[in-house]
Amino acid sequence: MNIGIEAINAYGGQTSLDIRTLFKARGLDLERFANLLMEKKAVGLPCEDPVTNAVNAAKPLIDQLSETDKNSIEVLITATESGLDFGKSLSTYVHDYLGLSRQCRLIEVKQACYAGTAALQLAAGFVASHPFPNTKALVIATDTARGAAKQTYAEPSQGTGAVAMLISRQPDILALDFGANGLYSYEVMDTCRPRADIETGDLDLSLLSYLDCLEGAFQAYTARVDGADFQSTFDYLAFHTPFAGMVKGAHRKMMRANGKRLPPNEIEADFQHRMGPSLTHCVQVGNVYSATVYLALCGLIDQAIIEQPRRVGLFSYGSGCSSEFYSGIVTAASKAKLSQMKIGQKLANRHELSMAEYDPILDLNMEWLFGVQDKVMDVEPYAAIYEKQLQGQGLLVLKAIEHFHRVYEWS
Amino acid sequence: MTQAEVFEVVKKNIRDVLFNLEGQEIPLAASLKELGANSIDRADIAVQCVEDLQLKIPMIEFAGVQNIEGLVALLTRKVNA
Repeated sequence: MNIGIEAINAYGGQTSLDIRTLFKARGLDLERFANLLMEKKAVGLPCEDPVTNAVNAAKPLIDQLSETDKNSIEVLITATESGLDFGKSLSTYVHDYLGLSRQCRLIEVKQACYAGTAALQLAAGFVASHPFPNTKALVIATDTARGAAKQTYAEPSQGTGAVAMLISRQPDILALDFGANGLYSYEVMDTCRPRADIETGDLDLSLLSYLDCLEGAFQAYTARVDGADFQSTFDYLAFHTPFAGMVKGAHRKMMRANGKRLPPNEIEADFQHRMGPSLTHCVQVGNVYSATVYLALCGLIDQAIIEQPRRVGLFSYGSGCSSEFYSGIVTAASKAKLSQMKIGQKLANRHELSMAEYDPILDLNMEWLFGVQDKVMDVEPYAAIYEKQLQGQGLLVLKAIEHFHRVYEWS
Repeated sequence: MTQAEVFEVVKKNIRDVLFNLEGQEIPLAASLKELGANSIDRADIAVQCVEDLQLKIPMIEFAGVQNIEGLVALLTRKVNA
């Protein structure tokens, strides 16, 4: 069955921060910085939230659709761990500002960084079982780390942004290998968001759990797919990438599994060739939680040489935890289609923050957390950045909160 | 396998991952953090020890380990289980 991602776009914010600058300013240890493979992270402005990021990621996809195709979107799923209400899902706002049909299901899924994949797979199943072949689903993974505590080792990796994907029977971007899914889930308290203002947990436990899940999910994949082999079945790999150094360790472990002892230089060459392209955008944005593995997929398609159909192995992990290893096919047409979104160019056009700009923005962001009842946006404290990056760009921004109702406008 | 033998395996892998420890003592009581290991390094060291000792155990069992002594004790217990 030919089902998968028809169109995809990523949004990585309007401002970024250089990670080395952050390490220095926070007095974090730079001695072994290199193997973390971090470059920049996306930073949200107070007038940006998971709704604006979602809409700003999805709008270029929706704008390309005919009215008929737009009206064939019968389900909109937001995937997030940065929800803004216990009851009302982000998808309701997103649906409104994208101007989608009222004949549409609006829902939200949550399972930490796995949620984007959960939504994608649910959407694929929905499309596959639908009697009308033209039916589409819109999946938007959107997350933000605005409540991030300063001065922690997690701060450098926490980003913000969204990835929007149109799922249909016309998989121009990624055709899913139908039924080729390896699942691995169990309860663990590695990282979590137990309150609106904190993200907490045990980074070491999370890293180790990620490794267990990769191994377990891949084993489950091989049980379904005869002859599947980590080293030879996949032309490229795209994993959930909280920071690039983490996937490098995971790749190394998989390359050495089952007693295979490849020399380190061969493992490094394989990493650069098969995984390197997937890091292209991730190292510019940081961890976007539920959206990260799809940011990795965008980077891969944008950066890799794809002249013939290529099989991609994807791994998604969400703390708590649930995980999945699956695969799909990308083609030269995927690359041509994605290039229209100009993701790399847009990331390069972000405003690079100084620490003197970054810290006050973080403090302002803390005023806009979950639960705010009434508040009017004032862009004055970052007026120069707003003017340079947002003014007249036609992007969605938060204008006010009126009795818990979020009001947005186009910049 | 004795604890001393497992400690040798652990030391070899610490030196392998933290390649800047040449000539430096690795005391049993030290923590990997004190030796300069970041979270990636710590996971790498645990993974390599498990591979060298040919263990099949969930990696999350290493999460509570506080220092090298704890790492050696856990690995010794698993090797001899």
